[in-house]
Amino acid sequence: MEIGPARRRACLALLRMSRRLIIPSVLIFLVLTGMVLFLSPHNMRRVQAGFLGIISPFLKTGSSMEKKYRDFREGVKTLEQLESENQSLRVANQVLSAQNQTLAGLRTENDRLRSSLDYKKASVFNLVPARIIARDASTWYNKVVIDRGEADGVQDDQPVLTDLGLVGKTAVVAQHSATIVLISDETCRVAAKVEGTQEQGIVKGERTSSGTNPVIGLNFLSKQAKIQPGANIYSSGVGGVFPAGVLIGQVKDFEVGVLNGHATVVPAVDLTTLEDVFVVVGDSK
Amino acid sequence: MIFFVLLLISMFLALVVEYFIGPLPVTGSRVLLMPIVMFYGSLALPVPGMLALAFCGGLMWDALNVQTVDGNVEIAMGWSIILYAVLGTLMGGFRPLFQRGRWEVHCLLSGVCTCFIVLAEYLMITFRREPVVFHFDREVWLRIGGSGLVAVLLSPFFFFALNYLAFLIGYDPQPERAVRRPR
Repeated sequence: MEIGPARRRACLALLRMSRRLIIPSVLIFLVLTGMVLFLSPHNMRRVQAGFLGIISPFLKTGSSMEKKYRDFREGVKTLEQLESENQSLRVANQVLSAQNQTLAGLRTENDRLRSSLDYKKASVFNLVPARIIARDASTWYNKVVIDRGEADGVQDDQPVLTDLGLVGKTAVVAQHSATIVLISDETCRVAAKVEGTQEQGIVKGERTSSGTNPVIGLNFLSKQAKIQPGANIYSSGVGGVFPAGVLIGQVKDFEVGVLNGHATVVPAVDLTTLEDVFVVVGDSK
Repeated sequence: MIFFVLLLISMFLALVVEYFIGPLPVTGSRVLLMPIVMFYGSLALPVPGMLALAFCGGLMWDALNVQTVDGNVEIAMGWSIILYAVLGTLMGGFRPLFQRGRWEVHCLLSGVCTCFIVLAEYLMITFRREPVVFHFDREVWLRIGGSGLVAVLLSPFFFFALNYLAFLIGYDPQPERAVRRPR
């Protein structure tokens, strides 16, 4: 494809004119960059939330297209398959309803007994279901974007989990979407305890093990700890962000360092194929 | 101006697409498309345009990736703007070759620059997170190198597509080509 001589002359004139604008443009660039660099954390969050709000409709569209493509590849289910799936879901629903009724009764009884002993009433938190619409594109961070935001009651630093265990916590929250920092990220730290022992430590992601097969670490354990591979790790509730008793993962191996013990933990939730999560809104402590 | 806006939209779309490409098998590295568009922009646009593109690209990247840990900013928003501008200037230094229609150096250079972006990100995180330990194992190098290699392989297609787009809207990214006659 060729461009006409008149058009080319215009482009050349534009290029020559822009050479005279180099110094002013560099100065404007430096001033604007300086303004961005010195943004306060609060304003930075606002910029992040604003941009997340702009990009999230595109991510939602992309996510639904990806889902449609995946469904198409998996093929259409037959009537028999749907009937069988429906039947098993009905049974599961009945079991869960029965369990829920029992637990509701136990909660009422527990609250009554607590009040008679002058204990603080156990706080109840709500779960907001959310769908993961995108996974982080950066190399060293482990984040996902969900389709729920401020309008659904989601706020910063709220725990995110599934029925299998802990997923992470909310970070940047826009009006209708939010970023979740996964437990496999190095910056997401969870106070944890080892099942069947008095051992407590801090679960933290590892920067280089976050690709296709994330592994997290449980640090600050005592050197004398007797921890067997397969032991469950639960959140201890210390720190105030994550509720106590949520499953984090299972111990893969335990090694003793110079100062303390370190366990490698396999997350209970498969963080690479995760699709639906729950955000714990309200008081989770 | 129209071409600048088109490049900006391309950068935004590249950023969206990046979210749907998972980590590469074996290396675990990510496919970074937005820097390729930015590097093409630094060749096809004059310096003010390149700086504007670096500013917008860096701001978009940081807005999505910068983290605040326990209320403190880990890496200040804006570092990517500086990095993109520096790499864009480096790329612009090879503009005479681009004017002569020689693209291979720029394709290789976009891979090197992509590696540098990933490496710079890693170094900044290392400096900011306690304790400062330079942990350069095989996996780190694979991630850095993998992103660069993908950029080298993809950049010819991107450069060709964007050049074609420029011609379609009547913008000549190589206007000096007609002035410089071969001896």
